[in-house]
Amino acid sequence: MQSSIIELINALSQFATPSNLLMIFVAGLIGTIVGALPGLGPSAGIALMMPLTFGMDPISGLSLLTGVYMGTMYGGRLTAILINTPGDAPAIVTALDGYPMMRQGKGGLALGISAVASFIGGMFGLVMLIFFAPVIAEYAIYLGPPEYFMLMLLGLSMIIVLAGADPLKATIATLFGVLLSTIGSDYVSGNTRFVIMPELIEGVDFVAVIIGLFGIGEVLVNIEKRVRLDMGKPRFRIREFIPGGKDLRKISMPTLRGSLLGTLIGVLPGAGATIATFVSYITERKLSKTPDRFGQGAEEGLASPEAANNAAVPGSLIPLLTLGIPGSGGTAIMLGALIMFGLNPGPMLMIQSADIVWGAIAGLVIANFFLLASNVLLIPLFVNALRLIQRHLGPIVVAFCLVGAFSINYGTFNIWVAAIFGLIGYLMKKADYPAGPFILALVLTPLAENYLRQAIMIGQGSWAIFFSKPLTTLFTSLVILVIVIGLLKRPLMKLWQSRKGG
Amino acid sequence: MKILRNIGHVAVIISAVMLGVGSTAQAQEFPTRGIEFIAGYGPGGGHDTMLRMMSKIIQQEGIVDASINVVNKPGGAGASALGYLNSHSGDGHYLMAATSSFITTPLATDVGLNYEDFTPIARLGIDPTILVVPANSPIQNLDDIKSSERVLNVAGGGRGQIEHIATIMVSDALEKELNFIPFQGDGEVATAVLSGQVDFAMINPGAVSEFLKSGRLRAIAISTEERAQAFPELPTFKEQGYDVIASVFRGVVAAKDISDEAKNYLVDMVEKVQETPAWEEDYLEPNSIVPGYLGPDDFAKYLEKTNELYKETLVDLDLISE
Repeated sequence: MQSSIIELINALSQFATPSNLLMIFVAGLIGTIVGALPGLGPSAGIALMMPLTFGMDPISGLSLLTGVYMGTMYGGRLTAILINTPGDAPAIVTALDGYPMMRQGKGGLALGISAVASFIGGMFGLVMLIFFAPVIAEYAIYLGPPEYFMLMLLGLSMIIVLAGADPLKATIATLFGVLLSTIGSDYVSGNTRFVIMPELIEGVDFVAVIIGLFGIGEVLVNIEKRVRLDMGKPRFRIREFIPGGKDLRKISMPTLRGSLLGTLIGVLPGAGATIATFVSYITERKLSKTPDRFGQGAEEGLASPEAANNAAVPGSLIPLLTLGIPGSGGTAIMLGALIMFGLNPGPMLMIQSADIVWGAIAGLVIANFFLLASNVLLIPLFVNALRLIQRHLGPIVVAFCLVGAFSINYGTFNIWVAAIFGLIGYLMKKADYPAGPFILALVLTPLAENYLRQAIMIGQGSWAIFFSKPLTTLFTSLVILVIVIGLLKRPLMKLWQSRKGG
Repeated sequence: MKILRNIGHVAVIISAVMLGVGSTAQAQEFPTRGIEFIAGYGPGGGHDTMLRMMSKIIQQEGIVDASINVVNKPGGAGASALGYLNSHSGDGHYLMAATSSFITTPLATDVGLNYEDFTPIARLGIDPTILVVPANSPIQNLDDIKSSERVLNVAGGGRGQIEHIATIMVSDALEKELNFIPFQGDGEVATAVLSGQVDFAMINPGAVSEFLKSGRLRAIAISTEERAQAFPELPTFKEQGYDVIASVFRGVVAAKDISDEAKNYLVDMVEKVQETPAWEEDYLEPNSIVPGYLGPDDFAKYLEKTNELYKETLVDLDLISE
């Protein structure tokens, strides 16, 4: 515990150069705006910023990406509260009570409360990350290929169980990711698969895919929908944004509950910020003495999910930094970034590259303070920026995407990849196929295949390796349980409903 | 109409960007941007360590002004990196670390490229392989491995690589079946043996020297003719009565068809790096690498010879058919 604090203070003092501070500040602003724009969420924010980090030192590059990630969590609530249009999925719940408050003339207060709740949630998650990551990393070194394979399988199967309306579409999207990741030279032996042109020997570049999917794809959807945000002319005085003592007392417990739930759900593979917001909203409504106020502008219903979605960000970084296992689309992209910076994701990361990990964590702590300040003081700036950008959003994003795709390799091949996946992203969105499982599968499959083959080889051909140790058996049983639940969820629900009806 | 206007916007921006890029690319002097060092394996391994040390020395001594960026392209025993460098044919801004897998991966797979598809720049030295076990392992010497009752698991770099070849040589010399498991780079191999996932590992000394010093791993044998300077206590395979001698070259190559100007620039840069005292003190000695610089022409001849030799070895060891 003490060593964590010492490491963090060291990292903070080394990290706090003027250029880094400016970069974190700008990253937070960009993240906030990207988060506020409907259609562009955390994954798009990180994907668009990725090419900017080429050639940066790893600490600055990672801080830029995590700053944007954190910023999107602050940004999503802006448009949710102001115009009832959630900027991204985790902000859907925010609109439930935030917009009614706005209509009651308490918009300033809603923005203020949600900013404070976001800050506390983010800090809570960061404290958990700072104290638990080193502990987990120390034990994680004893995990080997069989355990890793099962953990990755767990992440992939959880996503299908948690996929709301249509598990079949989530499964298809996941399997499409698995299929795409097999293109290129086989990770273990080096033999090539589906390599129809030499550019594909190293596989389809993952950065180009996400740029296309989340950048160009979203633009195509937006052109068709012709989304116009009528921001109106909200005028607030700074005083209105700062919640008073009474309001703070009212939201203190919901915020803490939301923070805890958000962190825990963020750690789970396959579950992320969006699920955390729904769970914490339902929890608050159950605990409330006046559940009728929910949906009519209840402060608790605003604060708790906002705390939860911000706490989920550091929460999801715990398995990423200690095990190298991403739990969501956003962290899957972060995993790609770690590999790009020449870091070795996995238990050795905290040991071999401790300075970089602590530097990035310090960056997140600073980002959280900046974001609180900017989200309380700069609301008019954001409103005006949104009004300005949304008119030219398409061209700006497409230009970013194409330059980004070009700069991956200084060649035109990846521009084509981004363009094709822009089209695929558009079609997936039109047909309601989720992109998160696809990205997760694309990133995880080569690693999972590698671990599977290594595990079987260590077992000298025997599948019994997956039940050889207590921990391995536990992980394997969890995977089987999750798959069984996934298969039986629907029939059981139907049975239950028919009984209730009968 | 609005859509058309939007598409118009996009087109203007794209063409502006493309023009900007095009005009810089046509400039004649080299380099026109930073130079990228490509490691075909994960961080912490031999390729990665060598390139990062080169990049550090270049910056410290101010050998060239261009910025240097080390990237890792792990996967397929170096095949990903071969594909990546090949996609930059004619562009001199890329320098890739080359070791045994630069020869063996094209021989053992259908990757469709070989050493002739790249421009040799320099050979920098020869790197031995050592056999290491976890600190608490019952294995004390090679005879313990020979007399073990079960088939032992061995971790090493990619399939067909020198560690794999050395493992088969050990297996033949000891007349003992061994189960080789390829990992993505020395960093992963070190983790696997540290955590006891495998019984022992074949690895470059440099990748585990820290763990050997801190006592978390023990070395059993080294694959050189005579004991290495960095490990005077460590017996060779030969001393223990088993004839295993295997070592790997370390060098750097560039893409095919690069301009003479770019080639001379890279050759000059690498030659200067390996002449610095820092290279000797911070790279060769701690990693127990035997110095052995060869310029581009000698390195090309060396690669040709090595290709023949490895081909024979791989056929002999039944890793490939003729």
